[in-house]
Amino acid sequence: MSIESRAESAAEPRSEHAAEALPPLDTAPTALVALAREAGYRGTPAPLAETLLVARPLLAAAGLAVPDGQLTVAAGPLDVRFTHVDTDSRVGPSGAAGTDDALRVSGTLHRVPWARAVEAAVVLTEGPGGGPVLFLLEATEWRQLAGTNLAGEPRDDLVLLDVAVPAERVRRVPAALVREAAWRSGLARAALIAGAARRCVELTVDHTAARVQFGRPLSHFQAVKQEEAKLVEEAALVAAAVEAAASALSEPDSAEFTAWLAAAQAAASVAEITRIAHQLHGAIGFTELSPLRLATTRMWSWRDEDGGERAWQQRIGRHVLDGGSGGLWQQVTGG
Amino acid sequence: MTLSALDPGAVQLPPEAVQLRQEVRDFLDTERAAGTVLGRPDSWLTGWDPAFTRRLARRGWVGMALPPEYGGGGRSNLERYVVIEELLAAGAPVSAHWVADRQAGPSILRHGTEAQRSHFLPRIAAGACFFSIGMSEQESGSDLASVRTRAERTASGWRLTGTKMWTGGAHVNDHAIVLARTDDSEDRHAGLSQFIVDLRDPHVRVEPIRLLSGEHTFNYCHLEGVELTDEALLGRPGDGWRQVTGELALERSGPERFLSTLPLLSALVGQLQRTGGCSPEQQARVGRLTARLSSIRQLSLGVAAALAAGRPADVQAALVKDLGTRFEGELVNEVREILPIAARFDATRGSYPELLATAILHAPGYTLRGGTNEILRGIITRGLELSR
Repeated sequence: MSIESRAESAAEPRSEHAAEALPPLDTAPTALVALAREAGYRGTPAPLAETLLVARPLLAAAGLAVPDGQLTVAAGPLDVRFTHVDTDSRVGPSGAAGTDDALRVSGTLHRVPWARAVEAAVVLTEGPGGGPVLFLLEATEWRQLAGTNLAGEPRDDLVLLDVAVPAERVRRVPAALVREAAWRSGLARAALIAGAARRCVELTVDHTAARVQFGRPLSHFQAVKQEEAKLVEEAALVAAAVEAAASALSEPDSAEFTAWLAAAQAAASVAEITRIAHQLHGAIGFTELSPLRLATTRMWSWRDEDGGERAWQQRIGRHVLDGGSGGLWQQVTGG
Repeated sequence: MTLSALDPGAVQLPPEAVQLRQEVRDFLDTERAAGTVLGRPDSWLTGWDPAFTRRLARRGWVGMALPPEYGGGGRSNLERYVVIEELLAAGAPVSAHWVADRQAGPSILRHGTEAQRSHFLPRIAAGACFFSIGMSEQESGSDLASVRTRAERTASGWRLTGTKMWTGGAHVNDHAIVLARTDDSEDRHAGLSQFIVDLRDPHVRVEPIRLLSGEHTFNYCHLEGVELTDEALLGRPGDGWRQVTGELALERSGPERFLSTLPLLSALVGQLQRTGGCSPEQQARVGRLTARLSSIRQLSLGVAAALAAGRPADVQAALVKDLGTRFEGELVNEVREILPIAARFDATRGSYPELLATAILHAPGYTLRGGTNEILRGIITRGLELSR
């Protein structure tokens, strides 16, 4: 059985009405994060977190219309040229300016989440005149090379062969928006991890209550209790970090840092949560017979898909060290 | 299955708390300049400074959540939270009033007679009356139901006999709230009662128990036939167990359960900045600790909000205590590795090696005090079972 067909069997068939089920654009950020957590809990086979917490807000911030349906996000270097080169321009080398922002794009975007399932992708890359650009690609405009992550979720490569992107789908964006794309991705996956962590706890508690060994349920063994409590704690820690970041989403000043904290904590907690959940499930947990794998294999993938906890921790540490000895506490309390 | 412990919800501090935080920081800056706030680890345990307490009290920051009619500030529990977390993060000397402010005050307000309230609460809020807690004994740590200290009925009240252990500050405080057996009933939880005992009573004998650092904070507290009137009884006879467990959520989830060693981390950050040029490894380790600290704080705030709303939170409190106190110890070890300098207890007071030494020598206590963590984990799993 190939990895991909395993993913299919794990995934429910995609709903025809998925687009209609998406919440409206003006939904409160905390509600969107709650939906992403729910998606993580259920292992929902769709890019819900990517659409709601990353693609849509980025499009809105860039001043582009938000299309209906599921979206994904990709970033990376591409070969980008102006479609209409301004040959009269004396600024920069030849081709560094266009008469409008229409682009021709070639190259490959790697491991794009759920590309095969979406209507369109939000792409961030370096523009031909220097500085970042954001544009919207429609699903018909790329060729897809199917790939998956450890959980069998689609992570497809998008091959772009001289794709013409009209100017109305292109925006030059500030560097801050590129950073926002990164922390929004981190927060989206932290929310997914928080949901999956909750699933790990539930499955584990159910299992240790039901499984009898030596005449009593596993949950009656002191050693099991100790580990189970630590599992609950670590999952609660991730939930708290994600909730804090969710409520900071509407505060421009603190949204980025609290999203870093949530991303760092979620990624860092995955190891402990999955270790304990699998240990307490015994041998059954690391087979395809147990639903536990739907949570744990996803968490192992998600924690690394935005660079891993080390990258987030370094960002946080640099920021704190820039703030001085009082800076750490000030950062933690939000000023 | 409901797992409310997993969903504390984010807590938005009220706007007045932001203003209050700044007032506390300004106050601390002044104190720091005067040399009275030294950024010490574990300052809520060993930072004994009654004069500092009285200056805090003059600002209304002791007993601040007590009602104004008893001399309190009538502020919310979340406002109190902000004040105490600022004091702990700064390593301010707050141990004199710590127990009075955290436990004795709220407990007397809740269970005390009108006479007890009007006698003790205004004094607590003025920073003029300090309390110890007499719960543990030689054979009773986390298992408080096994306490042997007895209170026997006399013609005029009660006579208290027994020895309490780990009684913090009994040698310097004014009173202790003592848990004693008043009835040998079958049910070990029934028959316990709480008493307010004057620590200056001639029949109270205090004997020091020194810490690994040689510091004198804890004591044996020998109660050698202490005669009490009925006015010394706190709450109803036989209700001691219920009263004590009610206090424990307050005791276990506060900022002192994850901030005891924060001053060491702040000192490290200051040290790293002065030397300049941090490695990516050092940055990442500081970042890791910051993320964990911040997440634990969110959980702790969640418990504070639950308690303020009158919701039970013992399971969440046990969870915060286990996570937070493990973090306090882990922080010490991480700091050692981030900036390896030999810890020296005899180095200049307040210097990095001395702070590190203090934190290391105190470290075994973090996961013991307030209930041993291994036992608290039983509370968490029992909570899970009940929620299924």
